[in-house]
Amino acid sequence: MEPNYKPKIALFHCINSFNEGLFLPLNGRVDVALNVIRLACSSMIKDIVLLKAFEAGADAVLVMVCPEGQCRYVEGNIRAKKRTQWVKSLLDEIGLDGRRLSISHMSLQDTDAPEQIIQETLAVLNDLGPNPAV
Amino acid sequence: MIVGEQKPIAEIKAIVKPYKKLLILGCGTCVKTCFAGGEDEVAVLASALRLSFKKDGKAIDIAEYTIERQCENEFIQEAAKVIAQNDSVLSLACGAGVQAIARRFAKIPVLPGVNTTFLGVLERQGFFTEECTGCGNCVLGIFGGICPITRCAKKLLNGPCGGSQKGYCEIKAETECAWHLIIDRSKSLGQLNNLTTYVPPKDWRSSNSGGPRRLVREDHII
Repeated sequence: MEPNYKPKIALFHCINSFNEGLFLPLNGRVDVALNVIRLACSSMIKDIVLLKAFEAGADAVLVMVCPEGQCRYVEGNIRAKKRTQWVKSLLDEIGLDGRRLSISHMSLQDTDAPEQIIQETLAVLNDLGPNPAV
Repeated sequence: MIVGEQKPIAEIKAIVKPYKKLLILGCGTCVKTCFAGGEDEVAVLASALRLSFKKDGKAIDIAEYTIERQCENEFIQEAAKVIAQNDSVLSLACGAGVQAIARRFAKIPVLPGVNTTFLGVLERQGFFTEECTGCGNCVLGIFGGICPITRCAKKLLNGPCGGSQKGYCEIKAETECAWHLIIDRSKSLGQLNNLTTYVPPKDWRSSNSGGPRRLVREDHII
C-alpha cells in the first residue's frame, strides 16, 4: 500500500437514519476522503448506484439505513439490504471482495455509530488495500 | 413470457475475453421482466465487467444499448449503428433474440449472456414458474387450464400417478401436483366428466422433436 494512501469511502444514507452534521467533526479526526450521498429513502439504493461508486474510485461503499421495521416508507431499508447483499455477492464474484461494501441499520439516536462503522471499514481497507479496479 | 437468467460473470468474462470493443445489448420485453436482460441488467453487467477487467489489467471498451425486442427486425434496425461500432455483441436476450441479431450481422460475433430457461408466468415480484412446454398441440381445454405436459413431472395424461403427498409432487416436494390441481379445478368448474375420456398418447411431431418449427400466416405475408 502506498504511504500516502488516503482511503476513499462513498457513504449512502437515508436522511432519516442519522444527522449528517456528525461527519463534520469526523472529517478532522479520521484521514479518509468521505463522499456522502443523501437519499430521501434507502429504497433509492440500486445495484448500479453501488457499482458506479466503485467505478468512480471508491475503496469502500457504506450504506446506512433506518432500523428494521422503522422505515418511514415501510420497506425501503429491506429493499436496500437485499440489493446491497446482492451487490456484495457480485463483488465477490468479480474479485473485488464483498467486504468493501456494507450496510448498517441505525437511528438518529445512534450518534456514535457512524464513526464506529467508518473505523471498522478503515480496518477492513487496511487489510484489503485500495480498490484494485482503479 | 420467456424466462431466463443471466449467466455467471465468470462464464461471461470467458466468452467476451477475446474482444476489445463489446456491446452489451439488452432486450426490453420478456428478459427485462425476469431481471435477466433489460436496461438495468445491461448497466449492472457492464459496470461489473468494467470493474472486473480493470482489476485484471485488461483493456476493453464496453458499450450499452437496449432495444424493445431483439426478435423483431424493426427493433433490431435501431441497434444497427451501435452494433457496427463494436467488434462483438453480448446479447442479453433469449436464445431467439441472440440468433435474430446474429443472422443480421454476419461479421460480428453475437454471444449469449443469458440462459433461456422456460415459458412461464410471473407469480409475484421475483418469482417465476414454468407453465408451457410449447408442445405445439395444446390440451389445456381438457385439463381445466392446467398443463400436465409441463407441470406433471411424469407428463401423465390420464390421471395422477398416486405418489403425490398432500397435493405436492413426489419428485419435487415444493412443486404442486398438477393432477391434484387439475382435479380440484375441474370439480370447481363442474367439468370432472372431462377427465373420464381416455386421452391417447401425445403426438410429439408438433413439438421440437421434429426439428425447428415454423409458423406461417399467409394472410399477413405480402
